[in-house]
Amino acid sequence: MAALLHVKERSMRLAMTDLGLPITPLPITQLASVIRSKNAGPLCFTVDLFFRDAAAYQRAANSEALQRHSVAHCYGLLASQVRRFELPDIWAMKLSMPRSVCAGSPGDGDLYGAQQHAPLLSLMV
Amino acid sequence: MIADLQVTAVSHLLASHRPGAERLRVLSAAGQLGFGIVQASFALGIQRRPHFIGCDMGSIDPGPYYLGSGQMAAPQAMVRRDLELVLLAARQLNVPLIIGSAGTAGARPHLEATLDLLREIAIKHGLSFRVATVASDVPRHLLVSATQDGRLQALDHSGAALTLPVPDEAQLLSASHVVAQCGTDTFIGALKQMPDVLIAGRSCDTAIFAALPQMLGYDAGLALHMAKIIECTSLCCEPGGRDAILAELGPNDFILESMNPKAHATPSSVAAHALYEQADPWLAEEPEGTLDLHMARYVALDEHRTQVSGAQFFERPCPTLKVEGAAYEGARAVLLAGVADPTMISVMPRALDEVCERVRSLVPGTWTMVPHLYGQGAVRALPAHQKSQYEMGLVIEFLAPDASTAKTVAAVFKQNLLHFGFPGRLTTGGNLAFAFTPSEIDANDCYRFVLYHLLLGVQPEDVFRIDVQTWNFEEVMA
Repeated sequence: MAALLHVKERSMRLAMTDLGLPITPLPITQLASVIRSKNAGPLCFTVDLFFRDAAAYQRAANSEALQRHSVAHCYGLLASQVRRFELPDIWAMKLSMPRSVCAGSPGDGDLYGAQQHAPLLSLMV
Repeated sequence: MIADLQVTAVSHLLASHRPGAERLRVLSAAGQLGFGIVQASFALGIQRRPHFIGCDMGSIDPGPYYLGSGQMAAPQAMVRRDLELVLLAARQLNVPLIIGSAGTAGARPHLEATLDLLREIAIKHGLSFRVATVASDVPRHLLVSATQDGRLQALDHSGAALTLPVPDEAQLLSASHVVAQCGTDTFIGALKQMPDVLIAGRSCDTAIFAALPQMLGYDAGLALHMAKIIECTSLCCEPGGRDAILAELGPNDFILESMNPKAHATPSSVAAHALYEQADPWLAEEPEGTLDLHMARYVALDEHRTQVSGAQFFERPCPTLKVEGAAYEGARAVLLAGVADPTMISVMPRALDEVCERVRSLVPGTWTMVPHLYGQGAVRALPAHQKSQYEMGLVIEFLAPDASTAKTVAAVFKQNLLHFGFPGRLTTGGNLAFAFTPSEIDANDCYRFVLYHLLLGVQPEDVFRIDVQTWNFEEVMA
């Protein structure tokens, strides 16, 4: 019983809003209207996330899943390699990261970097 | 009759337009000239009597092949069609036509090929006009001396970019083409030659649209922000598209209006566009300084148009140039096949290694094999549980010093992989499924980027070569 309470308390602490209310994580695809990736030059790719409304943006911006270290983990990178930009006015977030191979070099599998958003599609925020 | 070439489209605009008296109407006709300008929206743009027409024609995005080989990415017939459309309109209105990043990658062969097409069109229609050109190829000795004293540097120090090593002297000299992106100041230098048409090699997209406004006295931050948005035509609209877009620039703001009545420039669609293909949504580096969008404001004028203001430009003391270079890697052949046998799928990495070893003893030479295992993480790294067990798409690249060797390796490799034996093999009829023959294909030459760096401490006029020529083809018609 004590162990169960401990688990419950921890999960609630991880999922608190600013108001201190517990929230249930939702699939990011329910909150976002656009999740896209593209090269920003041949050495870097950038992911743009546009959310449906201010509440969806706020939930995503606060979520553990979209912190730099979590995003880095999705891509096998270090947190220091992920730049995160918040654009609350347009309910958007940008994540910029290094490409694994220079665009178009032998071994590259995504010249435009247009499919590198895929690891984020299964996030719960 | 010989046209009066003393008064050109640029000299007329500079003499007749006064900021504040009326807005400067800038028509962006193409974000990728040569892939088909949408005629209806372009015609609507022309009806608005723009003060000048600009087109972007290139990018680094299509990859190193185009810069390396000197080929255009756009099909020649479509480039001719688009050039004809914009040239005839500009000459009829007698307004400047400005084209940047000629022929995709903007090196000498791209510039020449674009000029050849333009000349062909001018002859066909009996046109006379003055053409200024900017060649963006970087003299190699400038690069070599820059590497010696550390003036060739990584572009991005944030950690969010892959590191491309600074090439050594031999690599610099062996690169097929090296270009730098010329900026607004270089465009201004070319426009001071008073042309009717300006065709520039590799260019900053912004320079195409920001140079004339700055010559007329408009604010650099506003002009660059406008340029940055409209170089992609109506991509900043909702829904985004490739239709021409009109910007009306005033002393304190600019107004965006797609020439497609169904594509609306809204404050959020325009603000969102600042993120597109940019690592940083707020700061954009130009050769002459930094464009800062932190203070940018977007206001709806109506449901179709948005008014933009607030961008700032901070000049840097010495210009910096972004340089791009591609080097020949080899000739490429590819092998295409599918696999449906789960055991073969599971042993594929080992099979490729073993077959590679076997083929090396059959085909000598310095060839390399680069596999792409679709369904197994060819597009991005996949966790084991997401890898497909039941079907695999196999694309194998073979790179060799010449096309014949590459094709030979591909064919021999194919046959050996088809009949590769492994413990537990049930599929003794063959390991691969081919959709067509030949299933090994000659896939052009392979290039790689060896330069995507910042070049410091050089004067743009030492890099970019401005030329001007007067074409008079009216007599040819007569």
